[in-house]
Amino acid sequence: MDDSIILEVEGLSKTYMQGKIPVYALRSVSLSVKKGEMVAIMGPSGSGKSTLMALIGCLEKATSGKIVIDGVDVTSVPDRRLPRIRREKLGFVFQHYNLLTALSAIGNVELAMRFSNVSKRERIERAESLLGKLGLGDRLKHKPTELSGGEQQRVSIARAIANRPAIVLADEPTGEVDSKTRDAIIGIFESLRARGQTVIIVTHDQYVADHCDRVIRIVDGGIADGGEGV
Amino acid sequence: MLDIIIRNATQRKVRTGLTITGIALGIFALVVMGAMSENFNQTFEKSMSLTSESIRVFPEIGMFGGGLTTGKVAEVKRVPGVRDAYGLIMTSFEEGHGSMGGKQVMGVPPEKSKLAVNPVKLQSGRFLQPGDKYLTVVGTSIAGEFDLQVGSKIEIHDKNFTVVGILEYTGSFFDSVATIPLETAQDLYNFDNSISYIFAIAQDGVDEDLLAKRIEFSVKGTSTISPSELREQASQSLLIFSVITISSALLAAIIGGLSVMNTMLMSVIERTREFGILKAMGAETKDILLMTLGEAAIMGVAGGLFGIGLGSALTYALNSWLLTKGIILFLITPRLIVVAMLFATLIGMVSGLYPAYRAAKMSPMEALRHG
Repeated sequence: MDDSIILEVEGLSKTYMQGKIPVYALRSVSLSVKKGEMVAIMGPSGSGKSTLMALIGCLEKATSGKIVIDGVDVTSVPDRRLPRIRREKLGFVFQHYNLLTALSAIGNVELAMRFSNVSKRERIERAESLLGKLGLGDRLKHKPTELSGGEQQRVSIARAIANRPAIVLADEPTGEVDSKTRDAIIGIFESLRARGQTVIIVTHDQYVADHCDRVIRIVDGGIADGGEGV
Repeated sequence: MLDIIIRNATQRKVRTGLTITGIALGIFALVVMGAMSENFNQTFEKSMSLTSESIRVFPEIGMFGGGLTTGKVAEVKRVPGVRDAYGLIMTSFEEGHGSMGGKQVMGVPPEKSKLAVNPVKLQSGRFLQPGDKYLTVVGTSIAGEFDLQVGSKIEIHDKNFTVVGILEYTGSFFDSVATIPLETAQDLYNFDNSISYIFAIAQDGVDEDLLAKRIEFSVKGTSTISPSELREQASQSLLIFSVITISSALLAAIIGGLSVMNTMLMSVIERTREFGILKAMGAETKDILLMTLGEAAIMGVAGGLFGIGLGSALTYALNSWLLTKGIILFLITPRLIVVAMLFATLIGMVSGLYPAYRAAKMSPMEALRHG
């Protein structure tokens, strides 16, 4: 693990309005993650962990606070520059895979690189290589509906790392798979960590958390434990 | 990006097909009406260019009300500035049909039969000559319809006429005219010495508008139309056809445009989550806009192609059928095709703008939570 900080969050708050009533989803959260660290974010339902992921992933705007990813303060970046940050710095793995059903496995992985202006030849080569490494070499042309849950999640991971992002954000990546597939997915994340890739996983599963370097616990929108890096 | 756009458009085949059909029907209407308008435009323009050098002298009460006799021709000729003048009869070739449009019979003094159609040349045979009686010079449409050659017989108003000349093709109303001697026409239609109107030709250097007024002033019971007035009247007539074309174009826009907008809105709502995924992967607003607008434009282009194809096929079939009756009603021009194609694409894109804007402006998280 590298000692450099890849993610720094300071005093992050997010307030939603339900009609005229404010709902405090996150209250002044601060944390930091080192490069190559594999971190689990845990907490009860509604505690704010998915909101934290959405804010770190630049999918939503924070009400206040600061997020610095790989040296870039993404909270002060204009909206029009956020897609570039999402492409270059972040990769997403979702609980429900979120693959495009009309595209094949290779099509889904290759699509992620289109927005980064990677040449077609390189996109195909990289997608084939990634899917091959994740054990899907013989499933390249299969549509998501023709793949099992575990296979779909591996395609989703391949898509997330295709652009070689600074951080992979995984929201309940093992939430819909059996224990064997869960082990396989943990194995993939561990191998990513071994290559120096930072992985942040939101999970309910203590088994997944046990394989991480650190667990950040969130309760009622605030950090209860583990916010500072080891 | 084009492959994604095509994939999206073809993913929901029935709905996309119905939308394309909607646009195609609109463009079909535009092409058919436009082809009719183009044909009228061309016929008018050619007819104008061939006949607009003469001053037309009508009886004061109107062209078909009588009151103009061959005696008036001499009076017109005496007006200073008039180089030549001759009377003629213009009536419908077929009984019971109006004299406007379709085939016409033109009675002219035989010695003026060349001047009356100037500068149209003969394809074969000769013009009428003094002394000719039941002889005729016909336009190409009439010759084609009745399979006529020089020497053939043609029945006009229950009398047999021999064709002595066939005019070259002009694309004007001369193609549908059978020229016969004036006196024969007067006998045939019981006109006595009446004529429909008089053509007056100005001497070189004489202002035709002023000469027309002078004729009206000098020859009692006449009214005139100068070449410039004729052009103006023709332009007004053409304007009516232009209005018809524009109306059909607007109809096409409304039908096709609403159809595309409905499809695209449905598509954007259905694909909200997909847009969220694309945004999470780093798609820019312009990528989403391009994707959505591209899909709408593709539907517009496809609708345009189908509409132009259908319209061209129908107008071709109708023209082939009408040609047997000596009429050409439609003209598909490159200008019409280009306008119809641009229009179809524009309909698609303009109608896709709002759905595209909605898709592009969605927050990624909001879109991902959808569905």
